[in-house]
Amino acid sequence: MRLHKISALAGVSILAFAACSSSGASTAPSAGGGGESAAPPASKGELTLGVSLPLSGGAAADGQPTLKGAQLEVDRINAAGGIGGYTIKLLPLDHAVAGKYNEQQAAQDMQTFVADDAVIGVVGPYNSAVAKVQIPISNSAGLAQCSPANTNTGLTKPEEGALDLRKDFPDRINYIRVAATDSLQGPAMAIYDYDTLGLKNLLIVDDVTTFGKGVADTFQTKFEELGGTVVLRQGAPADTTDFNGIINSQAVEASPPDGVYYGGVVTSGAGLFLKQLRQAGLDIPFTGPDGIVNGSVNDDGSLIKIAGADAAANSYGTIAAIGDFPAKAEFDAAFEEHFSADSDFKTPGAYSGPANACAVVLLEALKAAVDGGAADMAGIREAVRAYASDPANSFDTVLGPISFDENGDTTVPFISFYEVDTAATGGADWVFKEQQSFGE
Amino acid sequence: MTSSTVTAEARPNRFLVARRSGVGPYLFILALTVVMYFVLGPKQFVNALTIGAIYALVALGYTMVYGIIELINFAHGDVFMVGSFVSLFVLTNILGATGPAPDLATIVYQLVVTFALTMSVVGVLGVTIERFAYRPLRNAPRLAPLITAIGISFILQNVVQLIYGPSPINTPQVIPPSARVDIAGVSIGWINIFIIVTAISLMFGLQLFVSRTKVGRAMRSTASDREAASLMGVDINRTIAITFLIGSALAGAAGVVQGLYFGNITSALGFQSGLKAFTAAVLGGIGNITGAAIGGFMIGFVEVTAANFGFFVWAQAAVFMILIVTLVFRPSGLFGQQLGERA
Amino acid sequence: MSAASSPAATSPRGVRSRIGAFSDRHRSTSVFFGVGLAAMALPLIVLLPPFNSFSGQGVWMDGFTIAGIFILLALGLNIVVGMSGLLDLGYAAFFAIGAYTYALAASPFTGIEISFWPMLLIGAVMAAVFGIMLGAPTLRLRGDYLAIVTLGFGEIVPITILNLSRYTEGPNGIGGITAPSIGDFRFPTTGNPWPYYLVMLGLIIVSMMLIYRLQDSRLGRSWMAVREDELAAAANGINTVTTKLLAFALGASTAGLAGVFLAAKLQTVTPNLFRFDVSFTVLAMVVLGGMGNIWGVAVGAFIIFMIQSVLLKQLNIFFDNVDVPILSDIDFLQYQFLLYGIALVGMMLLRPEGLFPSQRRKRELHTEEDADFGEHGDPMGASPE
Repeated sequence: MRLHKISALAGVSILAFAACSSSGASTAPSAGGGGESAAPPASKGELTLGVSLPLSGGAAADGQPTLKGAQLEVDRINAAGGIGGYTIKLLPLDHAVAGKYNEQQAAQDMQTFVADDAVIGVVGPYNSAVAKVQIPISNSAGLAQCSPANTNTGLTKPEEGALDLRKDFPDRINYIRVAATDSLQGPAMAIYDYDTLGLKNLLIVDDVTTFGKGVADTFQTKFEELGGTVVLRQGAPADTTDFNGIINSQAVEASPPDGVYYGGVVTSGAGLFLKQLRQAGLDIPFTGPDGIVNGSVNDDGSLIKIAGADAAANSYGTIAAIGDFPAKAEFDAAFEEHFSADSDFKTPGAYSGPANACAVVLLEALKAAVDGGAADMAGIREAVRAYASDPANSFDTVLGPISFDENGDTTVPFISFYEVDTAATGGADWVFKEQQSFGE
Repeated sequence: MTSSTVTAEARPNRFLVARRSGVGPYLFILALTVVMYFVLGPKQFVNALTIGAIYALVALGYTMVYGIIELINFAHGDVFMVGSFVSLFVLTNILGATGPAPDLATIVYQLVVTFALTMSVVGVLGVTIERFAYRPLRNAPRLAPLITAIGISFILQNVVQLIYGPSPINTPQVIPPSARVDIAGVSIGWINIFIIVTAISLMFGLQLFVSRTKVGRAMRSTASDREAASLMGVDINRTIAITFLIGSALAGAAGVVQGLYFGNITSALGFQSGLKAFTAAVLGGIGNITGAAIGGFMIGFVEVTAANFGFFVWAQAAVFMILIVTLVFRPSGLFGQQLGERA
Repeated sequence: MSAASSPAATSPRGVRSRIGAFSDRHRSTSVFFGVGLAAMALPLIVLLPPFNSFSGQGVWMDGFTIAGIFILLALGLNIVVGMSGLLDLGYAAFFAIGAYTYALAASPFTGIEISFWPMLLIGAVMAAVFGIMLGAPTLRLRGDYLAIVTLGFGEIVPITILNLSRYTEGPNGIGGITAPSIGDFRFPTTGNPWPYYLVMLGLIIVSMMLIYRLQDSRLGRSWMAVREDELAAAANGINTVTTKLLAFALGASTAGLAGVFLAAKLQTVTPNLFRFDVSFTVLAMVVLGGMGNIWGVAVGAFIIFMIQSVLLKQLNIFFDNVDVPILSDIDFLQYQFLLYGIALVGMMLLRPEGLFPSQRRKRELHTEEDADFGEHGDPMGASPE
């Protein structure tokens, strides 16, 4: 059944592509041209699916492929006639300021979404620090928000402080995510490092952010529990450009590490760190969380491009989502076909699939809401939230069937492992190695 | 200068400087260097010297400009950043370099051309900035040129970002990072040796230029008393322009070195590096060329020491603490204010 | 010395000067009605085209509230930079101190629940205390050294917050901060923007009134004297260090106030919110608005904030849809600092008194500027007094 859906997706995406030749960031369903023929006669108007991601500057490598994952689904839905007479408008708001995510801008964007009655749900954000300022707002307004990529445990788990975020309505879940949490992502990589890669002595560096420090902490705890030794743990704040002081430190000299774990994202300096490691002659495995898995050697701002393809060899990263989902080949093909006219990010990123899944979840919930008779905007928004966050519902997404637990976390968490392949077709890129399910 | 530029509190420093400039600070530095060598070990010591050399080269520009027109040239860090991008342009677009050069002759050729072109272009950039942004404000309240300098800094950073994008850009490392040499059992990269030697040579050259040549004398006299210098026939505008030319050219050299050493440059480089280099200049006694150079190396040591002992997150805060403490307790820096000897 | 000259030196001309004369005499009244009228008009203006097509009234008002935070910051920095002539480049540090003061006093992290209203005052006092602690040793330094010290301080504060996780939750920031409430009415996070908007309005009016009073007081005249000629001021018996210290403390306290409000509005604070770009943005607001002019910086701050949060965004959306070759690829939001840079330089070279100059500042800046400068390499020719 799912395969059927995906092939339909691939088929209609050609239509959609023809309809909107410029599939730029803010593609609204194209009003003119071939799109009209597919629209149903009884159009009830337009509903909006918000997207809140960092889309510009160095963060574009994270945000753009993720946005396009959601856009693919919206274009497909519109090409197929919309939902219950509504066409769906995708409204991406960029909260990158000067190339990095900015919490205050993100909070304002969320205020924009909640104030707009037509917004039925929001896909995003990408960074956990951003989610911390957005959740109080979306929770207060009861707006469904689905993050493809947030992994910080404190966003959902009550014992980790999630109740502080949804203070207005502690029992009303509006924030759901398809990504697994760092309580899985960090330890999973620790096991992978220790067992699969056989690393026993690690140098751990984090970027001193909500995400980076958090995931490095869970990683380190598990790694030490397994019997591994941490040669040196250092924080390197987000604007660090010179890592040589860490790389050459006496602790590293005294007991040379056989691997590195970097807890952080590429905009914080992962690429620079990797490059400087290699220059110092440390050709040891470089491992990290999803923050370092961001695009091929051709994408601006990607780890592989910054470090250089040769230096990026022997790098491993996790993705907090299923990597080898059943319809991956079809999804990739549809994605590449749909965005072939774009100047950049033509190939799916690691979170394109999850963003697509988020869009599917929210739009399926919208369909249920409209079918259920919700007519006014407030009713639709609440029905979408209730349906999407209901643990009883299951969603048939490109990643496979997904449902959410009572906190809004996915019940089918996966951690996937990626490795840089310098011989990949089209230039060095991250390739899927294996995945691990943590579902019950 | 109007009388308002010299505060009552600052005046006595002139006498203090005269008394302080002895061998004491130099002995202190020597002792510190030896201690650092044993504390950090040879590898980190070389690392600290290398990044210290870059800071020192940038600090020279701050110190010269401040010495001569008492302006904190905020844009100087970004001039350094522009230097790194000019060297990228020269290496890739003019010389067609993509990575390590195949033989020594090519390395020498590429380096000579890159340094010459970058230093000239960046030097001219500095003069241009001075001519159009600072000179019209030379007699305005002190705040005005300072704010202009901040504005220029934004402009430079964003224009580079418009052209090259905000992500780090790879630069060709003409001297292969893997080329190393064993000195007394310690493996040291040729690139480190090259950077340290280049920086120190440039500094000595500058010191000689300032102390021995006629232009240098004009610079010193302008720094110590612009009015008197003018009366003695020194062309003030030309002298200030030359100061900017040399300071910016040195920042350009630092930019080349930055690209060669790290293999990456970004448009955001200027702000942080500029601040650290400025700290170096203050530490050494702003206006003092030797002081700035030594200050640069000291900042390098502070950073590397913090990183070495697991306090890298505090490295930046430590640098700024040094800045504040120096300014509060010894505003004339370790070596006093030589160039002009005016507090 | 121009500190002694009266503001009536300009020749009266028509209604404008009569309003000016009135507002000179009744500062508090004019502030109250001026700001009040503007604040009442704004929510109505955004209902008109083209503003209503960008976003709804609620979103606009939320934006105005955030703009209000920047107006407060600009007003405070204006005391330091504009009135006293001290360049403070680390102003965001005091903003952070205010915000974290409230975050620690009213969040689950500490388990304490102190009401928002007294915390406004306490946050301001905390920031002022830090201002004095930083200022006391450093204010005797010369202006440009002071700029660097404050810049360093502005960097140290977020780094310290980031790394003292035990007391600040480090990079995670402090979440779940209590929203203000009046009696049983708790300020809503979304939906009704009026409570925050009105409180911000009140803060701005009170701050502006107080700052006007200060400006006209003995202290205000001392600030001006110190700004124009520190030696002469000292010779006239002004305690320059105390004068500067008070400017620093009062400027910091305004930032503290803004910080408390921000924490209550966002309900989350992270060290990231207080980096140097905030300091420089506020500086650009003060410079563009007209250093020393209270109304000028308030309006300047408002306009700049609106440009960066609305105009640039709308330009992005516009060019995304229109598909002009180069312009469509430029992300205007990313280049707000390029605009600041051009504006700062252009302003200093062409109109150093700002877009809305204060009369005194204008006179002061132009006497010096109009003097024969530079070309002959003879700086003494420019001696103004």
